[in-house]
Amino acid sequence: MGKLSRRVLALLLAVLAMSVIAACGDDDDDGGGGGDGGGARTGGSITVSLTSQPDYLDPAMSYTVNGWEPLSISYSRLLEYKRAEGQEGSQLIPGLAEEMPTISEDGTTYELTLRKGLKYSDGSPVKASDFEHAIKRVLNLESGGSAFYLTIEGAEEYVNAGKPEADIPGIETNDQSGKITINLTAPDATFSNVLAMPFASLVPGDTPFRILTEDPPPGVGMYHITESVPNRQFVLEKNENYPNLGPDLPPGKVDTITARIIKSAQRQTQDVISGELDFMQDPPPADMKPQVRAEYSDRYEEHTTVSTYYMFMNHRVPPFDKKEIREAVNIGLDKPALARLFAGEMTPGCSFLPPGMPGFDEALDVEECPWGNPNEPPDIERARQMIEDAGEAGTEVTVWTNNDDPSDKVGEAMADQLNRLGFNAEPRILDGGVYFQTIGNQRTRAQAGFANWFQDFPHPKNFMFLVDGASIQPTNNQNFGNVDDPVLNQGIEELNQEPEMTDEVAERWRELNVHLVEQGHVVPYGHRKLATFVSERIDFENCTRFHPVWNNDWSSFCLK
Amino acid sequence: MATEPVSEQTALQRPAAWEEEADREQVHGLGPWRLGLRRLRRNKVALAFAALFVLLLAACLAAPLWADQVAKTGPNTNHLSDTIRVDGERKNVVALDGVPIGPQYLKADGKFFLGADPNGRDIMVRLLYGGRNSLMIGITAALITTFLSILLGTIAGYFRGAADVVIRNLLDIMWSFPVIILGVALGVALALGGIDIGPISIAPDSLAIPIGIIGLVYVPYMARPVRGQVMSLREKEFVEAARAQGAGPLRIMFTEVVPNLASTILVFFTLLIANAVLLEAALSFLGAGVQPPNPSWGSMIDEGVDRIATAPHLAIVPGVMLVLTVLSLNVFGDGVRDALDPRAKVRLEH
Amino acid sequence: MLRFVVRRLLQMVLVMFAVSVLTFFIFNVIPNGDPAVRMAGRQPTETQIEQIRKEWNFDEPIYVQYVTTMEKVFTGDLRSYFTQLPVGEEILKGLPRTLSLAIGAALLWMFVAVCLGLYSAVKAGKFADRFLTIIALVGISMPVFWVGALMSYYLGFKLGWFPNGGYVELTEDPIDWAYHLILPWTALAILFIGFYSRVLRSNVLDTINEDYVRTARAKGLGERQIMVRHVLRNSLIPVVTLWGLDFGAVVGGGAILTETVFDLQGVGQYAAEAIGQLDVPPVLATTMIIAFFVVLMNAVVDILYAYLDPRIRLQ
Repeated sequence: MGKLSRRVLALLLAVLAMSVIAACGDDDDDGGGGGDGGGARTGGSITVSLTSQPDYLDPAMSYTVNGWEPLSISYSRLLEYKRAEGQEGSQLIPGLAEEMPTISEDGTTYELTLRKGLKYSDGSPVKASDFEHAIKRVLNLESGGSAFYLTIEGAEEYVNAGKPEADIPGIETNDQSGKITINLTAPDATFSNVLAMPFASLVPGDTPFRILTEDPPPGVGMYHITESVPNRQFVLEKNENYPNLGPDLPPGKVDTITARIIKSAQRQTQDVISGELDFMQDPPPADMKPQVRAEYSDRYEEHTTVSTYYMFMNHRVPPFDKKEIREAVNIGLDKPALARLFAGEMTPGCSFLPPGMPGFDEALDVEECPWGNPNEPPDIERARQMIEDAGEAGTEVTVWTNNDDPSDKVGEAMADQLNRLGFNAEPRILDGGVYFQTIGNQRTRAQAGFANWFQDFPHPKNFMFLVDGASIQPTNNQNFGNVDDPVLNQGIEELNQEPEMTDEVAERWRELNVHLVEQGHVVPYGHRKLATFVSERIDFENCTRFHPVWNNDWSSFCLK
Repeated sequence: MATEPVSEQTALQRPAAWEEEADREQVHGLGPWRLGLRRLRRNKVALAFAALFVLLLAACLAAPLWADQVAKTGPNTNHLSDTIRVDGERKNVVALDGVPIGPQYLKADGKFFLGADPNGRDIMVRLLYGGRNSLMIGITAALITTFLSILLGTIAGYFRGAADVVIRNLLDIMWSFPVIILGVALGVALALGGIDIGPISIAPDSLAIPIGIIGLVYVPYMARPVRGQVMSLREKEFVEAARAQGAGPLRIMFTEVVPNLASTILVFFTLLIANAVLLEAALSFLGAGVQPPNPSWGSMIDEGVDRIATAPHLAIVPGVMLVLTVLSLNVFGDGVRDALDPRAKVRLEH
Repeated sequence: MLRFVVRRLLQMVLVMFAVSVLTFFIFNVIPNGDPAVRMAGRQPTETQIEQIRKEWNFDEPIYVQYVTTMEKVFTGDLRSYFTQLPVGEEILKGLPRTLSLAIGAALLWMFVAVCLGLYSAVKAGKFADRFLTIIALVGISMPVFWVGALMSYYLGFKLGWFPNGGYVELTEDPIDWAYHLILPWTALAILFIGFYSRVLRSNVLDTINEDYVRTARAKGLGERQIMVRHVLRNSLIPVVTLWGLDFGAVVGGGAILTETVFDLQGVGQYAAEAIGQLDVPPVLATTMIIAFFVVLMNAVVDILYAYLDPRIRLQ
């Protein structure tokens, strides 16, 4: 039988040899592809990776960073944000509209005019009535974004009627003149921002009333989605019909962007290092970050995002119904410790409004934080004493969190820290897909837990609604802690009447934020950083734009 | 002496062949026990692995001792912003960029013997407590499986008829249901809300949930062979004799039939523990087993795999412990089977 | 024979029905599991949730929901609650991957096990034989996801000998396809190689002593011919049936873990992800597909056995 085993060995060797050949073949292919775009500022093709399939590849539906990064460059809206980094990128400018809207005195009527001669990526003309159609799709498809458009007159009735072709009385359009008039039932300070959200992307008037992830509709974007195989990949190609919208909304640079879904962040990082991938949407895993920071600093950068991570405490459920308990937790939570779980991608801070947001107060965030500097260890003894005095030592607390990395570890650390303060706390970890709906259901009576928010648009209300008593709901509640403070409620309602973000308005938002932090209604502990990590082929210096609203701007990528 | 499961063992898994299988089954009286023990004593390898298992079990049971006396921390205690003294030098347990400290062995008086995890928890302490959870689940689940299998197998085999048809179909359904999917589905569903039906209330993070799931899914694997054996036992002379003396079915089952199943049960029990430990690891790996922060070897491997590039020991150490435990049980179970019942037809899947 | 086949197939249908009912109900009795609330996005109004409830029939009694869902399973209209993608298409995309993994691994473990088993039988009692026995036990004692993760890291990531996960379509590039699957195949096969080689070894040892082998030997046939024509052929029959059963089990067990570790995005990984999100339609469909494989392989083995051994049919 010696022969047989030799034969096995021979076979294994043959397989191995075949694999080696295959590996070499692989390298050749990639080398060739990379050469095509060498030296060009425009043209060429790149491959990017996503850790999971975007929720939807339909502008009416998507409500995740995952989806917005590709959709923001594949569609355009009446209003847009300047394609620039930092504060400048938060500036609203006319997109497909000729000018910024004319807003009536009482703040309820918005008038815009569509630019002339616009074409969709398939060559068909853009009409003013397409805007109404786009909003109808958002409302009729029960999109996660519909709440933003319910202030439009007749929108609520349109949803309830359930008839897709019915008219929304609050939107009047004229295809000849391109005029669009929107009537609101009440003033909404954020409505200009709402018009710039991906939900309001213009799509042709005959786009069907169903979710089109597998076959995204044409748009007026820098790119257009030409292929979409859910859970595998989608392809963006440069839109030849993209109009000249001025230097603030430049066209895309590379010709083709292939986006692959690769679940393993480790593999993505390795592939970006080797050049097989050109960009990864999620940051490299905590595990590999030290190596990436040290060895690839010429193509890796971290940016602070407009976001806040906080622990919510449910004001309706003991022991957090007591003010002194909430204050004690604000004092006792170890913020620098939590920051370590983000592998250096967290800036500790105790302001609820994040940096980059009108009304943000840097002193309040760090040095003058009423609960102690968030970069320093907390006064655990004092907090412990307060909890004991309140008679809540040993009280059972469940700290809710989800299983995304690192929120699971954050929840476990929070539970441990509450134990040090004298509670008897345990974490409860749910799947990321069901987490926010579960804690947002009043029946869950979630005591405390992990929460975070990334801006939808640069307006303080987009954060403050999370602690607005008026937004408390029985299910899908976003005010997880049921914060219901009359000062906040009234302030938010008043400021919602102000369509212009003047210095005076920003100052009033600042005061509201100071009030929120001083009251200790929630425990903010920091603002997230996100990384840009690209392959060697990409011109990192000149061609990677980190936008405050859209994050990594894929349309800015170009090859060296 | 044949040392392997014999060829007919496949037949056991096929319902159609049960009856015929039962006819061929050889039944041993009580005699072979002493013989078996002697055979087992001669099998040095099996005994060595049994000793290894006892050692692992003892180590895990001594977890609180190590935690209190040596590491001076609990399995779920975070040390995110703490420092320790190593050779007179202060070191962060978790560096500012989130990289946890590596194995210190005895350099820090036994603290962080195997290093820390990203939350700054002592890996050694978690490993021992995790082993306790894994073994606890394995042994309890194996007990449940054994009990249910004997119950169902004996009823079906002894009464035949309607009871047999019902039980047989039930086992068929359970067997066709993918074990992992069933386990994960139940685990995820229960981890969300626990059980709260009338007087029974189980917390979502209770160990009772993985125990119950694992205990259930292996029942068909054991109940079927038991049923086959009972079926042939009930035709034997000593059962006939008992029946002739006027003994009721319950009495016959417990005094005549079940004792004769002892060798099968013993062998199965050992292998069941091994497989239950493996299944628990798989469930925890998919997030449906032991719920955090409580450690188990499976969940530690799961966490370790995420950090494999900077701290490969986080995945390797719990894995090695798991393999050693399962291997020792498998080798010992193998030895017991050879010693007691060389023709036993025992096999599990995972 | 026909009656037996019909009865066996009927039983198959019954089991499949029970599996579907069980899966559906596990996910519909969970507290906090109201899918309408979860589907409604971040800030829905009550009317919106009502609308979803009506549209997806969540307001109907549970048995009606079961019937309508099952109708969709058979007409292929089943859609995920959360991405609203058609479940059938997702499964069709994943199935070639799962089958590539399972079939490849099954061939690998069968082939290696036959070689090792024969070798072991010939060397029975010697060192090599004992060593193989221990190796076999080590094999069945290792969790597949652990072996997979270590292999993927050391052989794929660190040494770079193999791709670190991923999948290439067979039609796209057969060599690259195999190259990407070598590690997953090996990880999954390790589990079974040891067990199969031991079963085969004992069968060979039993068969060698059978009368017909002695007769063949007495007739003066060469040792090699005896081994292949008589011993191996007869020892293989039970192993092959076992193989059929295990193949079904692998699709529903080891494959899920292996796919997850190597990111193959097959049906198993799809199922695991859907379960995490309590997304009932894909869970139901994948469970049924996998159970179908198990039940089918069982039935095939049973029918084959009945064909070979007429006594079974009478049962």
